[in-house]
Amino acid sequence: MKYSNEIKVGVTIILATVVFILGVRYFEDLPLFNSTYGLTAEFDNAGGLIAGNIVRVNGVAVGSVNAVYISEESGKVIVDFHVDKNIPVTEGSEAVVAGFDALGVVRLELKLGDPNVPRIPEGGLVSGLNPGDLIGQMTERAPEMMDGADRVLGQLEGVLAEANTMLASPESDFRQTLRAVQGSVDEVETLLSEERERISDILGNVDRLTADLDTAAGEDGEAVTALMDRLNTMMTTLDADLESYSATNEQLQEILRKLNDGDGTLGMLINDPSMYHRLDSTLTGINALVADFQNNPEKYLKEMKLVDLF
Amino acid sequence: MLRNTPAFILNPLQALGRYSQLLFHAFGAIPEFGTYRKNLWEQMVRIGVESLPIVMMAAAFSGAVTTVQTSYQLVFPLIPKGIIGAIVVPSMILELGAVVTGFILAGRVGARIAAELGTMRVTEQIDALEAMGLNSIGYLIVPRVVAGIVMFPVLYVAACFVGIGGGMLVGDLGGFVPIGEFVDGAREFFQPFDPLFGVIKSLVFGFTITSISCFKGYYTKGGAEGVGRATTQAAVASCVFLLLADLVLAVILL
Amino acid sequence: MISVQQINKSFGQKHVLKDVSLDIPEGETLAIIGRSGSGKSVLMKHIIGLMQPDSGRVFVDGVNINDISYAELRRVRQHFGVLFQGGALFDSMNSFENVAFPLRTFTSMNESEVRNVVQECLSMVELEDVGLKMPSELSGGMQKRVALARAVALRPRYILYDEPTSGLDPETSNTIDELIKNLANQLNVTSIVVTHDMHSVLNIADRAAFIYEGRMHWTGTMDELHKSKDEILTAFVTANEYKIGV
Repeated sequence: MKYSNEIKVGVTIILATVVFILGVRYFEDLPLFNSTYGLTAEFDNAGGLIAGNIVRVNGVAVGSVNAVYISEESGKVIVDFHVDKNIPVTEGSEAVVAGFDALGVVRLELKLGDPNVPRIPEGGLVSGLNPGDLIGQMTERAPEMMDGADRVLGQLEGVLAEANTMLASPESDFRQTLRAVQGSVDEVETLLSEERERISDILGNVDRLTADLDTAAGEDGEAVTALMDRLNTMMTTLDADLESYSATNEQLQEILRKLNDGDGTLGMLINDPSMYHRLDSTLTGINALVADFQNNPEKYLKEMKLVDLF
Repeated sequence: MLRNTPAFILNPLQALGRYSQLLFHAFGAIPEFGTYRKNLWEQMVRIGVESLPIVMMAAAFSGAVTTVQTSYQLVFPLIPKGIIGAIVVPSMILELGAVVTGFILAGRVGARIAAELGTMRVTEQIDALEAMGLNSIGYLIVPRVVAGIVMFPVLYVAACFVGIGGGMLVGDLGGFVPIGEFVDGAREFFQPFDPLFGVIKSLVFGFTITSISCFKGYYTKGGAEGVGRATTQAAVASCVFLLLADLVLAVILL
Repeated sequence: MISVQQINKSFGQKHVLKDVSLDIPEGETLAIIGRSGSGKSVLMKHIIGLMQPDSGRVFVDGVNINDISYAELRRVRQHFGVLFQGGALFDSMNSFENVAFPLRTFTSMNESEVRNVVQECLSMVELEDVGLKMPSELSGGMQKRVALARAVALRPRYILYDEPTSGLDPETSNTIDELIKNLANQLNVTSIVVTHDMHSVLNIADRAAFIYEGRMHWTGTMDELHKSKDEILTAFVTANEYKIGV
């Protein structure tokens, strides 16, 4: 029993050390037994990132930030962090500061590179994408979105204007049709001016959407990014849709015929609020048609003749 | 000039001087490892290992109470329950783990050290050690203070472990917050510096309690009554200076 | 050879030792006598450097122990064995360990050598069988005898006794006195006995030093003590004899 004191003390100290290390790793969200390796990333703006924040890959915590400091040479923000050794942080991986500073929930998000290229060595530099704040991100991208909307509207207007010019040319032998079309275009214009209100409604809605996005950002930063991505996609689809409407010739013919008849269908259409949405899409169709018309007028002239025969 | 200085200023100054002197001697005796080697193990067992059960029990209760109390105070429905973990874990690591351990040891270890050394003083055992040619400060004080410094962080780790565990368990069983959410919340706000701060704090507390108690015990005067006085003073002074050290460390390091 | 030269010591306002000088030659048994609180114990503590004089010097084997480092002082102290008033046994150790303590601390003896020396010392004080008992289990007289065994374990050249017989019954006192005498003869040590027990002094001492009110009032051999006409000294001696009923 000569060593019993030494043994008791030794065992206690070793146990405490193990509990301490494992405990810290546990709350740092590190694997308890796997070893980790250290990496560095450089940013213009740390966005509130501090030592101890979690490092995530695809939403899974794989490590944590060791230190955040300003480089003396470059003045940039250097972020030292470590991740689980099993995570393949290959060349081409990118780091971005994500989360919401105002809530103190900031983390480092890693986007892994191609798994087939070599890993970044221990202590190596992961390129840092500069994040800005989420709200900042929104404001940054807002003009882009507005531009998109503007572009679409501008195209619409341009197309209508050109249609006007075309139809106003006096040489045509389907004057009546033209007049009818003219009338309808007038109506459309009236409609458009009426629409102003609606458009502002829509803009109001967009406003509200943005506000909602804000709230969403409060809850989870990533959702906003995702939403914005989706919005972008939507814009692109809208563009594509506009194009595809040139395929709706038949429908248009039908409408033109009805217009030709001049028996107040248009009035009915306009007066019947339930038909509004149909008209809306039709209008879009007209755009496409006019565009098509512009491209190969012969086809339409031929058609028009056919219409005249009726 | 000193003659006219009132006692309430002079006495603390004198005590501080004697305390520093004692520490200085103790520091000088550290190289004489052979003098206190055997005692060191003994004191480590008595101060550290034997204090584990009471420290762990107190820590478990304070962790559990903190959890219940935090969830009682967080009535606003929008706050995620994980915040309970984010409050309990740092409270335990930063403050409660070290302070609860400190108070228990001030009573348990501080009083015992003062009583032991005080008795040795009034029964001339300290003189006997000196008369043999032994460095009594090296033999008696160094092992106790070193054991305090080494074992206190160990007790602190045990206290945090049990305290957080107790908090989690009570939070889960009591329906306040599931363990998973508790841990997630704690992780979200976990700072690796916190446990380091706690360890530094416990080192300082270990030193404070043992050195003050040694001082009170070593300079005991006046028989059995003196020993009783030294014991009380050791426990009280340990607590007071522990709180003072707590504040100073928080101001300096946080 | 111990030489105390003109030492003064005050505690606060209280002047305890006033110009005390004393020479103790090798091999002598000296009794320092005086009333309680006269400063005898304080003088003894100066001799082994447990107290520092305000002025004056103490020489041990020609070395001024007030003028050497703590480490050197501790080496000087290893030549001393001290029997404290209450024995001052370490109450965390049993009797055997108490006697073995200086051996284990200051010598490189192995366990069986230590065991032999401890047994020898315990038999010197006629307590072979108490080795496993804790100090609290021993009577006052036995505690003092174990403490004496501990004091002589390192074969000191000087043994200091602080009130060796106080608080003991006369029979036990006699036993202790015999031990002191035997040790002085067997080990050829210089003994300094601080006491107010004149019976004991007459029994064991070669010479006596009488301290009165902090001063060295009188020194001399036992014969001189008997013949002395000093009033204060005779008052002290007779009061003592009267008390113990001689």
